[in-house]
Amino acid sequence: MDFRWSEEQELLVQNLEELLHKEAPESLMAELDGKKEFPYKPWQALADHGILALGIPEEYGGVPADIQTLTLVCETLGEHALPLGIIYSLGIITIRDILQFGSEEIKREVLGGFVQGDPPVALGITEPQAGSDAAAMKTTATLDGEDVIFNGQKMYCTLSHQARYILLMTRDAQVENPYQGISMWLLPTDTPGLRFNYLNKVGWWTVPTYEVFIENVRMPRKNLVGGMNRGWQQLMANFEIERLALCAASLGAAKAAYQDAAAYANQRVQFGKPIGSYQAVQHMITDMAVHIENMQNYIYKVAWMMDQNLPVRYEHAMCKLYVARASFEVIDTAMQILGGLGYMMEHRVQRLWRDIRLMRIGGGSDEIMYNIAAPQLLKKASR
Amino acid sequence: MNIIVCLKITPDPEDLEVGRDGSISTERAEWTIGGFDLPALEAGVRLVEAHGGKVIVLCAGPAEINNSKIKKDILSRGADELYTIVDESLRHAGTARTAAVLAAAVQKLGEVDLVLSGEGSADLYFQQTGVQVGERLGWMTINAVSQIEVGANGALAIQRTLEQEIELLEAALPAAIAVTSDIHEPRLASMREILKAGRKPTFEWSLAELGVADLPETIDILKVEAPPRVARKQVMIEGSPEEAAKALLSHLRKEGVL
Repeated sequence: MDFRWSEEQELLVQNLEELLHKEAPESLMAELDGKKEFPYKPWQALADHGILALGIPEEYGGVPADIQTLTLVCETLGEHALPLGIIYSLGIITIRDILQFGSEEIKREVLGGFVQGDPPVALGITEPQAGSDAAAMKTTATLDGEDVIFNGQKMYCTLSHQARYILLMTRDAQVENPYQGISMWLLPTDTPGLRFNYLNKVGWWTVPTYEVFIENVRMPRKNLVGGMNRGWQQLMANFEIERLALCAASLGAAKAAYQDAAAYANQRVQFGKPIGSYQAVQHMITDMAVHIENMQNYIYKVAWMMDQNLPVRYEHAMCKLYVARASFEVIDTAMQILGGLGYMMEHRVQRLWRDIRLMRIGGGSDEIMYNIAAPQLLKKASR
Repeated sequence: MNIIVCLKITPDPEDLEVGRDGSISTERAEWTIGGFDLPALEAGVRLVEAHGGKVIVLCAGPAEINNSKIKKDILSRGADELYTIVDESLRHAGTARTAAVLAAAVQKLGEVDLVLSGEGSADLYFQQTGVQVGERLGWMTINAVSQIEVGANGALAIQRTLEQEIELLEAALPAAIAVTSDIHEPRLASMREILKAGRKPTFEWSLAELGVADLPETIDILKVEAPPRVARKQVMIEGSPEEAAKALLSHLRKEGVL
């Protein structure tokens, strides 16, 4: 096994780190968090330096990149400016869906805009009564000549007010099997009939989330992405990479918290000695490092498998389950080592702590990851 | 306009290890492009982007400079071609010999309008090599240049920043110019440029190929060591701004600073 990065990957990460130091320093990210503002300027800097172009085909202004490289980008963003890693990860699923299933016109419009710095396309899937059970959704699409009319409500639609488009999932109630009755549409967010209600949340303050009310929203039928009633299968095709990207951003955040905690353990003197000289703190530091190493190995392995076109059906779910918990544990331990300082709003660890908690819920909760992995593990064992 | 940019590849200053006796170890240091030279590369690339031509990078040093990652790093920042002159004897070469080697390479390349270098190397920072290259070539040679533009007559309009004044000069080509670090902020390479870098041409010359194999060293560097560490006083000054200012002045006088 070769765990070394390629020279190109090393240079990419090196340049990206330098870019983030300049365009997304901790002081700016803290300020934006306090103001609950989307990081438009750092996001544009990522576009200007070709980071958003990675993994998008050249004909749409992109630069080819494998999944391992995208993972490294997410990890680096997570380490230096977690919200950018989150936003980038959220974009991966919608961008890939459009790339895979969108018409040529949609691809040119959306991918071209993303590469230039548009915020990612938001994903409109969850509804008040349909969370993990997405098949229970009720938002409808009624065909009317060359148009389609939407009615319904979406919950937890992150970035929907900042994005130019929502990738909207609708349900055809006439189809008995819900998984055969879901369609995917590209809905411009300036379409009349849309109303956004800002939702306050514990973390992710620079990555705003909304409740979206959809009332008689009319749009051309040509904005259908992929096949009619094929939306569920299309959506599932790219959940794996979104989860992996979120894992990589979480790993980066854990590394940042570890660095803060380790530096503090060396520097903070209590009872005449640095706190890092006490066994209790040494154990915490070592446990954190072990978690980080494990997360890294798991993420890189799944990324490598995906690059080899190997199935990762249960591997990606187990990886997400492990990383969401381990990254939270690392950051929580960092806060413990930092003590009162880490709990202060001036310290980045409190922000990482608030932001990372959602990883156990968003992109598929821990419990759903068990639901994905366990049946396949048992099936494998029964062979 | 064909431009040669001289870059020195050195151990990363951030990786240096300083011993208790002041000795400096580069053993564990990663080698990298000298930070003072990157603005020169940026200046060259911008001139070529605006006026056409190509940017050729020239590096001389020991085997460590023959590193494909560093080469890609250089070429991803806008250079078109890279020439390296690799020889163990260049590890501790003085500025005169390094300049002679670089000047020989410039002459061998021919058809060059401008040679750019940084204000000094990232390791010993003698600030000599760039101007010595110009002198050896017999070209107009200017250092401390903080701005370069091409005038309507094809000559360079140059701004030179000195301690007390700024000089505005016109220089005919060919010329050798050492630029200040603030001439331009070096660009960051995008993945597109990084991928392209691996396909750009690189060449390696020996000292013999340049006819400079037997040049004598004109200086001996006896020792390079870090200045002795001075323990910090760790004096905390409290009180109102006026009281604090008075206390600060008193401390500075006591230490002989004022």
